[in-house]
Amino acid sequence: MRTYEVFLKKPGRDEFRHAGALDAPDDAMALTYAREAYVRRHEGDELWVVDRANIVVGDPDELAVNDDKPHRHNDGALVAARRKAERESQTDTRSEVDA
Amino acid sequence: MSLSPAAREHLLALADDEHMVGARHTNWIGLGPFLEEDLAFCSIAQDELGHAIALYRLILDDERPTADGTTATGERDAEADLRDQLALDAFAMMREPGDYRSCWLAEIECSEWNDSLVRHWLYDRAEELRWEALVGSGDERVAAVARRALSEERFHLTHADQFLSRIADSDTTGRIAASVERLAPIAAGVFDAADTESDAVAEGLVTTSSAELAAVWADRIRSDLARWGLSVAVDLDPAAQSARQAGRTVRSDGFDDLLADLQKVIREDPAAVW
Repeated sequence: MRTYEVFLKKPGRDEFRHAGALDAPDDAMALTYAREAYVRRHEGDELWVVDRANIVVGDPDELAVNDDKPHRHNDGALVAARRKAERESQTDTRSEVDA
Repeated sequence: MSLSPAAREHLLALADDEHMVGARHTNWIGLGPFLEEDLAFCSIAQDELGHAIALYRLILDDERPTADGTTATGERDAEADLRDQLALDAFAMMREPGDYRSCWLAEIECSEWNDSLVRHWLYDRAEELRWEALVGSGDERVAAVARRALSEERFHLTHADQFLSRIADSDTTGRIAASVERLAPIAAGVFDAADTESDAVAEGLVTTSSAELAAVWADRIRSDLARWGLSVAVDLDPAAQSARQAGRTVRSDGFDDLLADLQKVIREDPAAVW
C-alpha cells in the first residue's frame, strides 16, 4: 500500500485544499477510494491525489529559526492607527471651520 | 401512464435484487478489509439501495390514487410525502417472502470477503446490462432512473475490476477461484425472468430480453476471467438456477433471517423515518 494525500477544489475561485489522506495500492485505486471517501457528497468538483512519496518535504529545523522574528510580523496596525488619528484630527478642524 | 402487470413484474425483480444485494453489501460496514475499501464498498451498497428506492417509488406511485396529496405542480405535499415514505418502507420490508422477486445471488449471505467481492463483480456485470436494456424504455420515468443508475454503475464495475485484477493472479490460496466457481452458476439466475417478460419487451418497457442479456453477460464474465489470468471452468447457463428459483418465486435458504433482520426497525416503530 502507498499513502496518498487528497486535495479537493470547490467550484469558483477557491483554491485546491487538503482534504485528508488515504492508503491505496496504486494511483488508479487511489482515485477510486478518494472519490468514495472524500467526494461521496460532492464536496468538490476537482480532485487531486498525490503519492506522499512524491512530496518534497521541508526540514522543520530550518523552519524553526524563523520562530522568533517579531520584526517580520508587521501587520500594519501602527500605521493604520496613525492614519486614523490623522483623519480624525482633520475632520475636527473641518467641523470647527463649518461652525 | 400506468405500468402493465408485465412491466411491474420486470421492475419489481430488479428493485428487489438491488434491495437485497445492497442490504447484504452493507453488512461490511466497519468490517471491510481496510478502511478505504470499507467506505467504497458501503458506498456502492448505498447506491444499490438508492436504485431500489427509485424503482419501488415508481411502482408505488403507479398504484396510488392520483389526486391524493398532490399539488397543482405535481409535487406531493409534506404529509403525503411522509405517507409515501412509510408506504415505501412497508412495501420494501413487510411483504411475505413469496411476494419478493429477488434472485438468489442477491439474497444469499456472503460472509467471506472473497465471496462478497466476487458477487459484487458478477452482480454488477449483470446489473449494467439490465439498466442498459431500460435506457431506451418507452416509459420515460423508467428510462430516467436507468440513466442515473448507469452513471453510478460505471464506478461499481471499475471498482470490482480494479480490486479483482490486482489480486486474482497472486491469489495463491485459490479463494477467488473457489468463489467464482461456487457463485457463477447462482449468478446466472439473475437472468431468470418471469413468463410475462415477452410482454414487457413487446410493449417497449425493456428493449432486450433476459436470454439475450445472459449471453452477453457470459461473454463478459469469461473475458474478465481470462484478462485476470484466472482459469476457472464456470457454468454460466441460467437454466439450472432459474429452475431452482422458479421465476424468482422461490426464496433461498437464509432469506427469512435476512428479512427478519431488515424488519427489526420497522417492527419496533412502523412510523420511523430517516
